[in-house]
Amino acid sequence: MSLVEVHNISKRFGETQAVDNLSFEVRPGEIFGLLGPNGAGKTTSIRMILDIFKPDSGEINIFGGKMEEEKKKLVGYLPEERGLYQDIPLQRCLTFLAALKGMSETEIAPRLNEYLEQFDLLEARDKKVKELSKGMQQKAQLITTLIHDPQLVIIDEPFTSLDPVNTEMVKDMLEAKRNEGKAIIMSTHQMNQVEELCDRILLIDHGKRVLYGTLKEIQQSFASQDVMVTPLVDLPESIEGVREIRKTNGRYRLVLEKHAKPNLVLKNLINNGTDLVEFEIAVPPLNEIFIQVVKKQDRGGNG
Amino acid sequence: MAKIWQIIKYEYMKHVFHKRFLFSLLSLPIGVLAMFGVAFLIGRFSVDRTPVGYVDHSGILQNSTREEDSSDLFDPRIELITYQSEEQANQDLTDGNIQAFYVLPKLYPQILDVDLIYFEEPSSEIQSQFRDFVSFNLATAENIDPLVKERLSDGSVINMESLDGSRNMRQDQWYLILVPFVAGVMFVIVIMTSGAYLMQAVVEEKENRTMEIVITSVSPNQLMTGKIIGNIGVGLTQLVVWLIFGWIGLKVAGQFWPILQDFSLPGDYITVILLVFLPAFVMIAAFMSAIGATMTELKEAQQVQGLISLPMMVPFYIASSIIMNPNGTLAVVLSFFPLTSPLTIIMRMAFTVIPTWQIATNIAILFAFAIFSVWFAGRAFRMGMLRYGKKLSLKEVLGKGAVNE
Repeated sequence: MSLVEVHNISKRFGETQAVDNLSFEVRPGEIFGLLGPNGAGKTTSIRMILDIFKPDSGEINIFGGKMEEEKKKLVGYLPEERGLYQDIPLQRCLTFLAALKGMSETEIAPRLNEYLEQFDLLEARDKKVKELSKGMQQKAQLITTLIHDPQLVIIDEPFTSLDPVNTEMVKDMLEAKRNEGKAIIMSTHQMNQVEELCDRILLIDHGKRVLYGTLKEIQQSFASQDVMVTPLVDLPESIEGVREIRKTNGRYRLVLEKHAKPNLVLKNLINNGTDLVEFEIAVPPLNEIFIQVVKKQDRGGNG
Repeated sequence: MAKIWQIIKYEYMKHVFHKRFLFSLLSLPIGVLAMFGVAFLIGRFSVDRTPVGYVDHSGILQNSTREEDSSDLFDPRIELITYQSEEQANQDLTDGNIQAFYVLPKLYPQILDVDLIYFEEPSSEIQSQFRDFVSFNLATAENIDPLVKERLSDGSVINMESLDGSRNMRQDQWYLILVPFVAGVMFVIVIMTSGAYLMQAVVEEKENRTMEIVITSVSPNQLMTGKIIGNIGVGLTQLVVWLIFGWIGLKVAGQFWPILQDFSLPGDYITVILLVFLPAFVMIAAFMSAIGATMTELKEAQQVQGLISLPMMVPFYIASSIIMNPNGTLAVVLSFFPLTSPLTIIMRMAFTVIPTWQIATNIAILFAFAIFSVWFAGRAFRMGMLRYGKKLSLKEVLGKGAVNE
């Protein structure tokens, strides 16, 4: 069963079609990447899932039905617009926000302590929020998102302002949540993080679904007829089935002839007696796919 | 319910445990206390309390007694010294032992003429003390029934009563009329304070950008219910503390002016206050949250807030014309306009009997307006809550199909 099912939702603000007939689903135990250029309709889609906006048309099911007050405590949300009460001590702020998620004060205290320790914020607990650094506030915000152990986590750019150590820690946390069977919807522009974390992705542009599927499927569908090899010694000057050899950073990119198969090229290399350290089908980085798709959309949109 | 309670608690504690609140809480009683203090000092020291002498040739003050002490802090009783002759009195006057002396001639009972000898004329309070002393003893001399004597020295008290008999007031208790007036003004202050706190609470959600997290935890209705109750709580705390101060003040003052002990608020007055202030509070709360939701910064919101709070206080600024002519056109018109009506009605009620149809219509208008303002605030809130850094125009709020429902 999916935790979130989105069926053909559309949303218009005045002249702008923010979301256009969008459908997707999010399953338990996965990190789902919600990608798209600025203004593509990601935040609007998230807000519709959370029932902040109602879609003009279409339907959203969350935990098997419409969004209700009771279900709100099953969701943890880290919005794009970060916000904490600036004028009160950190601990009071986090306790209040956790209480709004339906946690009792006896539940909050030990768990908050755990998180504060984990995020290295114990000493800052009595400071006013506005006195904390940006990174510290970001960590505090993550505590607010996760403290009530939600079944569905929706996070918008979770790694902003985090140093590499904290970035790793948050990544580990998200992976742990996934392994517990929680669903995580992550919206980000950091494609390397998506490649590392996400199981499936949805790329939207101008409110429409452009790419949707597992990361692997998508990358393979964009794979060219190229092969990346790292030999121990230099490559022979010509290889059967290879149209062109390009050397990049100690690796070689082999551009195959039209009907040649990578298997055949590998066989030929081995028959030639070339020792290989690495042989892989060239998969385009997500970053490239993103740019390629969005540019194509824009051309389509303009022409 | 638990979530609403959390919000109430948060809003309440945020203000009540803040230095600013303590300051505003104490400023009124301290201000009143200071005013009384100054009045007391002026009363106490502006009157020369040197004894006054008298020479009685008529004999009516021979076995003189003074009435029971009815003096108070502002009008302390002075000592009266009797002299056998003008020479002795004159001597003491020159020596400064007395500030003046009266001479009652032999024929005083017939001609009722008295001489007053002084260097500087004694104050009217002192002269009236001597007058009371003489009339009290004059009555004794005439051997009048003690009850009649008491009435005689008390003088006449005019008791005014309205034509329908619903209101009356004793001449010597004119200041009791101020009590409902003060109570009304206090209610308005509480409403304005709570309203301002509420507006601050809403605009802070926007300034801090916490709105999105909060409304994915609670419903907008729960959020606003909690905020409104929490901030009314702050206003009521203020009112209760002031009332306690006022009560203590009256008890203390009652020791000196016994008349203050029997003040009370008439029941119908309390009913009307509640009927006027319930919708008025809802209206102000709704408008303040609407302002909070449509503005982006507290400063901005505070400027716009004046559009609501200034008209509310207009009757206070023109209080004299309303009091002088409580059933005049101006007063009647102001009681029909929702923002000015609460204070106007309170003021008029203190000084006149307002026709029932007017009160009923005014209250009905207030209730209608309260409902409209809640509707308006709901729209403004839903549209404005997620607009960071961008104002919402009146046209947008009232426009068709603007709300995403």
